[in-house]
Amino acid sequence: MILRALFLRPLLRAPLRFLATLLGITAGVAAFVATLASNRAALASLREDTRALAGVAELEISSSALVPVESLGVLRPLSADAELLPVIEELVLEPKSGAVLRLFGIDPLQDSRARGFAADAGAGELALRTLRGEGVWIGAPLAHTLGVVPGGRFEVEAHGRVFELELLGTLPADRASGPFETAIVCDLGLAERITGRNGRLDRIELLPRPGVSQVELEKRARALLPPGLELRSTGARAAQTEGLVHSLQFNLIALSGISLLVAGVLVATALATSVVQRRKTLALLVSLGAGRWELVSALLVEALTLGLLGGLLGAFGGYAAAHAIVPAMRATLTTVVGSGPVSPVRFEGDLILLGVLLGLCVAAASAVLPLFEILRTPPLQSLSRERPDWLSPRARVGAIGIAILAALLAVELLKLPAWNGLPIPALGSATALLAALFALQSPLCDGIARLSARIPRLLVIAGPLRLALAALAAGRRRSAWAAGAVGMSVALSVAIATLVHSFRTTVVEWTASSLRSDLQVRALAPPGGVPIGTLDPEIVSTTARVFGADAIDPYTTGAAECEGRRITLVGAAVDVVARRGGFGYRDGRDSREVLARALATKACVVSEAFALKFGHKENDTIRVETPGGLLERRIEGVFYDYGDSQGTVIVDLEYFRPLYPGRSARHIEVYLPEDADLDAERAKLVAALGGRFQVEILTKPELHASVLSVFDRTFAVTNALVLVNAFVAVIAVLTVLFALLRERAADLALLRALGASRLELGAQVTLQSGLLGLLGATGGALTGLWIGVVLVTVVNLQSFGWTLEFHRPWSAIGGVLAAVGSACLVAGLVPAWLAGRAGMSVVLREEG
Amino acid sequence: MMDSAPAAVQPIARLVGAARRYQRGAEEVHALEAIDLEVQPGEWLALVGPSGCGKSTLLNLLSGIDQPDEGTVEVGGLALASATEGQRTLLRRRGIGIVFQSFHLVPHLTVEENVALPLALDRRRDPARVAALLERVGLGARATHFPSELSGGEQQRTALARALVHRPKLVLADEPTGNLDSASGARVLELLDELRREDGSALVIATHDGRLAARADRLLRLADGRSVFHGDPKDDPGPPR
Repeated sequence: MILRALFLRPLLRAPLRFLATLLGITAGVAAFVATLASNRAALASLREDTRALAGVAELEISSSALVPVESLGVLRPLSADAELLPVIEELVLEPKSGAVLRLFGIDPLQDSRARGFAADAGAGELALRTLRGEGVWIGAPLAHTLGVVPGGRFEVEAHGRVFELELLGTLPADRASGPFETAIVCDLGLAERITGRNGRLDRIELLPRPGVSQVELEKRARALLPPGLELRSTGARAAQTEGLVHSLQFNLIALSGISLLVAGVLVATALATSVVQRRKTLALLVSLGAGRWELVSALLVEALTLGLLGGLLGAFGGYAAAHAIVPAMRATLTTVVGSGPVSPVRFEGDLILLGVLLGLCVAAASAVLPLFEILRTPPLQSLSRERPDWLSPRARVGAIGIAILAALLAVELLKLPAWNGLPIPALGSATALLAALFALQSPLCDGIARLSARIPRLLVIAGPLRLALAALAAGRRRSAWAAGAVGMSVALSVAIATLVHSFRTTVVEWTASSLRSDLQVRALAPPGGVPIGTLDPEIVSTTARVFGADAIDPYTTGAAECEGRRITLVGAAVDVVARRGGFGYRDGRDSREVLARALATKACVVSEAFALKFGHKENDTIRVETPGGLLERRIEGVFYDYGDSQGTVIVDLEYFRPLYPGRSARHIEVYLPEDADLDAERAKLVAALGGRFQVEILTKPELHASVLSVFDRTFAVTNALVLVNAFVAVIAVLTVLFALLRERAADLALLRALGASRLELGAQVTLQSGLLGLLGATGGALTGLWIGVVLVTVVNLQSFGWTLEFHRPWSAIGGVLAAVGSACLVAGLVPAWLAGRAGMSVVLREEG
Repeated sequence: MMDSAPAAVQPIARLVGAARRYQRGAEEVHALEAIDLEVQPGEWLALVGPSGCGKSTLLNLLSGIDQPDEGTVEVGGLALASATEGQRTLLRRRGIGIVFQSFHLVPHLTVEENVALPLALDRRRDPARVAALLERVGLGARATHFPSELSGGEQQRTALARALVHRPKLVLADEPTGNLDSASGARVLELLDELRREDGSALVIATHDGRLAARADRLLRLADGRSVFHGDPKDDPGPPR
């Protein structure tokens, strides 16, 4: 009966409020689930692609460089225990469509047990042609996409060269899924020609023969392992790749968690409002002998119903939204790990369960304060003697005290280091600041209303404003909730805007000061992606011939390890770069001076991310393990870099080349005289390269624009989060306004009876909505700016090791405030219209 | 010498054949039926009758809050049925003062602000008038208090001051003493009569209180929405048996 009186009947009579709240919690859970599901899809791609490509092999021999084919001879004693499967795997580009494809070179004769490609190649002429490297195999769907049929030809680009390949046949459907959807399978020999490997493999997979355990095989393989090579499980490679995107994923999930927090505020607002609306019913039930627990149970049922439904809808909505997010996620990952084939978003039961649990937890947590409201409700006989809803001095001191404590906690948390490499204390600090913002809303609403009562003649000078402020005070608790929700939304938006603006401005300045080459030659890039692979050595030599060897820097990279962790070792023509300069150094020295000293003293320079990751500084000596041996160098300088969070060490090419024999440049920086006509110089190089190579040659302005374009794509996903939060905040304002309208129906009817027009009442309600927005937005903007500082100076540094300069995003803040202010005013229009339509006689009679 | 016949006094309010019906489920409720009534300037008219007889409905018709289903209502020369929403609003704002049984003060406006509200709605300010009225109703010292800090009698005196601050031609009062003890009720009524006489306002008061009705110039007794007596209170036969 109590449940019916307090929950079911009001729900049926006012379904809009219930639906609005449901929509809010659904949006919050959906944002979280969508981020999680798209993250999973991305990680699953990285993990499952690795496993699927390895087939049933669990062990592999690889190197941070490439594996010399001679290693097969060294490992031959293992062939009694395992099949040795050499693999070449590299991303190539299909120039017409811009599709990134995976070239997969194997030995078809040996591969039957691992992946079964030998069976596909069949026998007879096709098998022979496969072994002779006369063509390739791809899945039928890919063949359809490329518009090629068996016997037909298509092109791929690798290392700046274009190859025409004949399609020998299509793979059966069961072997054309997952990573093989975009794979080109061919014999090792052909793969070697395309990739220019010259006798170097990506890995050798070990497939135990029947009766040989993996442990035994591992033991024997380790004993035979040539120097520079490592034995690892295929899962370890996947984990290593996952580690690269760990920080990025964590930060995205943390951001989406704030959406959930805003949704929680919305549910709490709606529940608190519903309690106040039913205060008379509650008081009557108390008078009739209803127990507090029965009343509390009814509210809990309402909260949990909202949580359950919102969680379920949010989980399913999140899956739908994840499909939309995946392209942005792919763009983001592409900039971090170099390739971004993302698995489709899969429907997984545990995420649905998580969505429901999140919905329930948020709803239950949101019910706590409204529960206190219930417990405070007196019997009906005492209700009329209650004083209006001014904040008591004790409550005011309590709220301000909580805000101060939360702010102090925020400051203290900032002093803690990252936990396990993740900026958890700093994010905790941001959450504490949001709590402080929220706690302050109630005293602020109260204070403003009290202040307005003390301004003489305000009613006469600005009647609607005075009435709107009185209305705000009359529903102080609800107003505080709504202003809090708006504040959180604005804070989040401003914080993200601050981060993005600071990051972008830093990158713009860094690009201008660091990327000083006049032309950059690099491999082709897929649409929206970064260039794939390295350049053919002939491109480097041709470029050197055109511009002179002392005008080019063939920027060459290799994977290495420092203190057991993966880093990037770069070989650069330091003497060339030292003449022109580039990169800003942490100690403020001119880059030309740093590089000249590094060259003279055989020292290295390291990126800031490296210095922070390993705790090194200038003049420390570091040891880098490379496939060609140990490299020991003194650090001459620490430079700012925003392209790599693993850590980069740069040495002169003279020292790099022996460690990575045959390694070609990723890109070539060309330094030209200051008055050079860049387009003409580019044309010279294009002519020299002739039709043999397909490369991208960017002039300095084009390169700078390209860097910013990659940056903008990386942050594309954050825009969706801002939108979700703004949406939730608007719903919070709407819910509160409807509730306030209902609570104040008698006041509004009275004003009508005293001669206020509908327009004036509407203006008053709209003003009230605008005030809520202004109150929330002002606090939110200040808090958001401070959280932005935390994100820029602490979270970013702890996550990626990049120092960013803090830049105040005034225009973005202005935009956010204008957008939220307008949204709040618009949110007030419907209640304003309803306020004008309210029947005076009915309301006044009910009250009398 | 010209013949100086006295000019006919125009009534401040006139109802002709006014009827108001409500739909309550399938049933049609006749709240008022065929009411003819004129209220003269400065006079005191008492509306009496049991609960639900149509007193409040009649007040709502006079204030333009509600519209009759049949007949006409004219207040201050304005036919309310054909008047625009804006005209009716202006009429309430400038020509009518209302006193409710449960006071209906705006809780987060001070006493002074509540009284000044009708002037503020008309974008007028007259602090001297507000202060004078508050003094007259004995609340000069409580001008900056909020309604919750006042007793019931004080709240109703605030409501009286608000109803009269803009010198309306017609004051409508719905059971103004219904929520007060007899001493406070008597004091409020005296004040109401005194103040409205000063401004020459007509007063239409709906009440259950026979003693209060007996002080009126005229009395209209209603039963089931119909007029059962209309005349001098002394001649009122009382409720129909």
